[in-house]
Amino acid sequence: MTVLRDTPIQNKRTSDIPGRFQTARFTLWVDRFMNHFIKAGGLGIIAAVMGIFIFIFLQTIPLFQGARVEEIGTLQFPPDDYECFGVDEWVELPYAATKTGILRFLNVETGAVEREINVAAETGKKFTAVRQNLESQEILFGTDGGEFLIADLQYTPVYEGQKRKIEAEVRFSDVFAAGGTGPVIDISYSDHGERKLAAVLQGEAERREVRIVTFSQARSLMGAGKVELNQTFDLTPQIKGVPEKVMVNSQADSVLVTTQAGDVYFFYYTDEEMDLRQVFRPFSALPNPAIASIDYLLGSVSVVLTHESGLNEIYSLYVPEGGKSRMYGKTKTFEPVPGGATYYDASLRNKAFLIGRENFVSLRYATSESVRWQTDLPFTVYRAALGRKYDRMLFLENSGTLHIYRLTDPHPESGFHAFFQKNWYEGYSKPTYEWQSTGGTDDFEAKLSLVPLMIGTLKGTLYAMFFALPVALIAALYTAQFAHPRFKLFVKPAMEVMASLPSVVLGFLAALWLAPLIENRVPSMILIVLFLPAAAFMFGDYWTRLPLQRRNLIRSGYEWVAMVPILLLVCWAGWHLGPVLERAVFFFHDPETGARIADFRLWWPHVTGTPFEQRNSLVVGFMMAFAVIPIIFTIAEDALSNVPKTLTSGSLALGASRWQTAMRVVLPTAYPGIFSAVMVGLGRAVGETMIVVMATGNTPIMDFNIFSGMRTLSANIAVELPEAPYLGTLYRTLFFGAMVLFLMTFMVNTAAEVIRQRLREKYRTV
Amino acid sequence: MLKQPPLLKPEVRKYRPPGESFVWFTATGLSLGLVMILFLLGIIFVKGVDVFWPKKAALIELKPDSPAQIGPERFLAGVVTTVQEKIGGDSAALAESQKEWQLFVGNKDVYGYGFKYFDAAFIQKVSYPESLARIERLEYGDAFGYPVMIKLAAGQIRTAGQPGFIGELKRLVHESEKRWDKIRDIEKRQIGKINDRLEDLRLKEKSRTSQHGLEARSHRELIAQEAAGLQGQYQLLAQKAQELRKLQKQDLIVYRLASGEEKELPAGQVLGFYFPNQLNWAGRAGLFCKRVFQYLSDAPREANTEGGVFPAIFGTLVMTVLMSLAVTPFGVLAAIYLREYAKQGFFVRAVRIAVNNLAGVPSIVFGVFGLGFFVYFVGGSIDRLFFKEALPTPTFGTGGILWASLTLALLTVPMVIVATEEALAAVPRGMREGSLACGASKWQTIQRIVLPASAPGILTGLILAMARGASEVAPLMLVGVVKLAPTLPLDGTFPFFHLERKFMHLGFHIYDLGFQSPDSEAAKPMVFATTLLLIGLVVVLNLGAIIIRENLRKKYSTGAF
Repeated sequence: MTVLRDTPIQNKRTSDIPGRFQTARFTLWVDRFMNHFIKAGGLGIIAAVMGIFIFIFLQTIPLFQGARVEEIGTLQFPPDDYECFGVDEWVELPYAATKTGILRFLNVETGAVEREINVAAETGKKFTAVRQNLESQEILFGTDGGEFLIADLQYTPVYEGQKRKIEAEVRFSDVFAAGGTGPVIDISYSDHGERKLAAVLQGEAERREVRIVTFSQARSLMGAGKVELNQTFDLTPQIKGVPEKVMVNSQADSVLVTTQAGDVYFFYYTDEEMDLRQVFRPFSALPNPAIASIDYLLGSVSVVLTHESGLNEIYSLYVPEGGKSRMYGKTKTFEPVPGGATYYDASLRNKAFLIGRENFVSLRYATSESVRWQTDLPFTVYRAALGRKYDRMLFLENSGTLHIYRLTDPHPESGFHAFFQKNWYEGYSKPTYEWQSTGGTDDFEAKLSLVPLMIGTLKGTLYAMFFALPVALIAALYTAQFAHPRFKLFVKPAMEVMASLPSVVLGFLAALWLAPLIENRVPSMILIVLFLPAAAFMFGDYWTRLPLQRRNLIRSGYEWVAMVPILLLVCWAGWHLGPVLERAVFFFHDPETGARIADFRLWWPHVTGTPFEQRNSLVVGFMMAFAVIPIIFTIAEDALSNVPKTLTSGSLALGASRWQTAMRVVLPTAYPGIFSAVMVGLGRAVGETMIVVMATGNTPIMDFNIFSGMRTLSANIAVELPEAPYLGTLYRTLFFGAMVLFLMTFMVNTAAEVIRQRLREKYRTV
Repeated sequence: MLKQPPLLKPEVRKYRPPGESFVWFTATGLSLGLVMILFLLGIIFVKGVDVFWPKKAALIELKPDSPAQIGPERFLAGVVTTVQEKIGGDSAALAESQKEWQLFVGNKDVYGYGFKYFDAAFIQKVSYPESLARIERLEYGDAFGYPVMIKLAAGQIRTAGQPGFIGELKRLVHESEKRWDKIRDIEKRQIGKINDRLEDLRLKEKSRTSQHGLEARSHRELIAQEAAGLQGQYQLLAQKAQELRKLQKQDLIVYRLASGEEKELPAGQVLGFYFPNQLNWAGRAGLFCKRVFQYLSDAPREANTEGGVFPAIFGTLVMTVLMSLAVTPFGVLAAIYLREYAKQGFFVRAVRIAVNNLAGVPSIVFGVFGLGFFVYFVGGSIDRLFFKEALPTPTFGTGGILWASLTLALLTVPMVIVATEEALAAVPRGMREGSLACGASKWQTIQRIVLPASAPGILTGLILAMARGASEVAPLMLVGVVKLAPTLPLDGTFPFFHLERKFMHLGFHIYDLGFQSPDSEAAKPMVFATTLLLIGLVVVLNLGAIIIRENLRKKYSTGAF
């Protein structure tokens, strides 16, 4: 190529060259232009192709970023003793309520009080407690006489021309009596459509009562009627110690009561009765087991607890192993906060929660047990709230100053922990790796572990290699070393045709033709796999013992032709002997009827306890072999037949047999080439998509059972990406999966390529 | 040369070179590989061809009171599809070996299913009556039955015994076919045109709603006028189509099913009919060719399980051509740079390895990139810039044939680069030096000497790339392939070439039919036919590439230069 550098362009036009020998200006111009154009274009194209990786990588970065938070303003409620506050979806009309029964709405735009409701004055009661249910936006007021009322808050956007205005409507219920004596200390209420339930803690000092109230509501065509008190229960006799806090879950079917001693009582409402399910002491191991704070996460399956030492834990409901009903148990431990939390709010979009004490604030994500963001604020927080869309954080100071922060945290559920480590998902009895990206309910917890997918990829690759490797390698060895060279002329094109078979065709054949075909013939397949090599050996042994004249009937290099009928015979025999084997070996007696059952499909789960599926790894492995064999074969054959002839000739001349030459001379020289062939085949198997999508059940499971399916990274992308919302967490996670695939195959292939180049150098020097 | 000794010593005759049986063992690998590929291709070929071959229709007389009886009479008619060992309950292997028949009975509108399983034990007699007809219908698949009479609109009745009955039947079918063509022309082409124009107007109006003033108002009025005119035309056409459709229903064909029911069918529902048991070999071959032609040229019907695959063939073709148009210049340019212009060194070697390995990156990764970059990023930007009025309905910001072609072009560009580089490297140095020595510039040498000499090699790479592009499905699923596209990417409405449209693809057709079809048993023949078609396409492309390459190899190995 160096010759090309000295092109005539560089020759300067000199006056002594006659004009007719001078290069035309146009030619020179075109040449110069093409020079630059090709350089720029070539480099550009290569850069663009490499850009694929960069683009995919950029898409995945936000998955690993924490939350970004910035202050966007402060507002001032009139100074008062506020107990709780909340905000609408659009963060335009926050409210705050005092213990004395004053409810104020603040207009974010003007900063002025938009509306003020004095509940105490309107009802003529004296209030001692105010609580709120943020999920359904209800504010609960408890009176000194043991009564309570529910204020239902409705925000509705009203459009005046192009401008949107948020209006708040507050509907008050009747004043209900909880039935006990003494002022209300704590109250909790939940409305689950048909079922409405309130828990009231009342009394004074050490003498406290816990009352449960259920409601009924008449419904007619005209809409919902009035809420009326239905039943009351007294839980006090069942509780030992002084009750501290009551909590009703969002399904309105269970109540948690904590005591000053640090116990949690878990009541379950069934058949119109309160049933004490469990009593547990979360911090029993600590010197002072009192609970500093306890609150529900979205969905009310988990509670977030803190201890005065700052310990932050999550207890979740799950069915313990061997148990029958769901009980609370510790599932997660977080980084400690400085002392017991004094304020808390759970997100209504995901499993995030905001927790803190005084000026320390921390945003945490329950599923992945991670801290999204935390800091020390320049002011002391009294109450905090997360925006309903998980886009704002609001902090209320005791003085009534409201700080509004913008929260940008689009992918809280992702991260290293979520992708690669065991997560204890809600409702599970132990931490698991699990992939389940979408669910039916609002409080669904996305399970984004990539581990089952990687295991599935590994499983598919493994079984494919299990079939493909032996066939491809021995075929390559035979073709390169023993077969007559004329066969190469059609063996290689045949392999190329095999490599070009569309994987959708292989997948279709695997699923709709092969899977039903071998479903009830597994014993036959076992027999064929066992018989085939044995028959080949035996026939070879027998044939080479024959006298030379007979042996010469099949010329050396033509053995494979003779093997074809034997092969067909073995397959035929194995196929038909399979059922016989099944009847003789794979039988068991039905434990109930005692009948003898000889069916491999039932025998396998009976004996191993693992399922037998029609579309299983056996089918996938076998069909994937069609895609992998030609690749391994071509590269390995190249490496084997390019071993310099001098080496093999020398070996043969010294009296080694052709097998000895192949084993001792050819293989040791060519093994890097074979290794690289295996690597490239591996790369193909890892990324294979359509066969896996079609021929497995696509269930992300974590075992290596040959008779069950799997879900691979590539199949996962093909199945889920078309439905994933643009730039959502699932979308980015699938991009991350693609990046993992890309890196895996690219590295494997590069290693193979480098090895191959080294080998080429080696052959040149030998 | 030594002469072969007349007699070998006994120990020599018995001598076995060590490891011979291992050699036989390795021979199995090659045999197995070749048998596997031939077997697979054979299966696809046999099953694919079998779909079109007209089969005899059996009339099965059942034993009295057998549970297999489905109508008032003890007869079943249809094509026997399988005879297999019955799978009975849990202890399948122990049960007495019984045969079970699967019969394609058709008449889905009457029976509710197309295939019927029954025990061989129920059969009394199997015959192949010549008067049994197989009727291909527009809906509910094929029907088997005996034609009984024709009820013409004018009130005339022709019964089966009369002479000229079959001729009359053929005339009716032919007429209805003509009418369908007309209806299709009106509904698809003419009304389609009006709809396109109306949509244009709607977008125009939408883009002007924010404007005020006299001019805008007069403009709006103009638009409204035109829209009203179009609406009028539309009404007219719709009425015409409605009348034609009515005509399709006026003549009735009555036939009796083997199981006894009688059925009336409007002539417009009949696509064709034949008497499978009357056909001789030549008749079968003729029908076979006709069905193959129909399969290749018709649009799919009945959730893709009937009809043809023309839109899928067309979509695959257009996409592959677009892909080649994109991949050839870029691939060749990059290869020329790497081979002729770049300074050979570590960098170029590294780039070469990287490009080589890109060919091994899973195709789904390219699909992911195509979706993220082309569809959402580039397409979304184009929409925001040029198709603002149509938003939020995406024009380019959703999968389409352009994005699919570009994605596949990226997927195959490494193949083209590698093949072109090899072809360029194979051009003998003497040719270049000769050209340069004659005073040609570098570009002239490349353009006139090197590229023509390497053209067959580049073509080989391109053909292989096309084969790969035509057979990939996974990335297409993400960037614009659909199971049923209402329009072709290339048609008679301006601007004729609709790059943003979604398209059908043979490979995706297989996936969709095999896995998302509501009646997978009925879809099976179509899948095998499509598989054969796709495999045929890919194998022919590959063999073409291989042949070109072999010729090339010969040319260079003979040392012409």
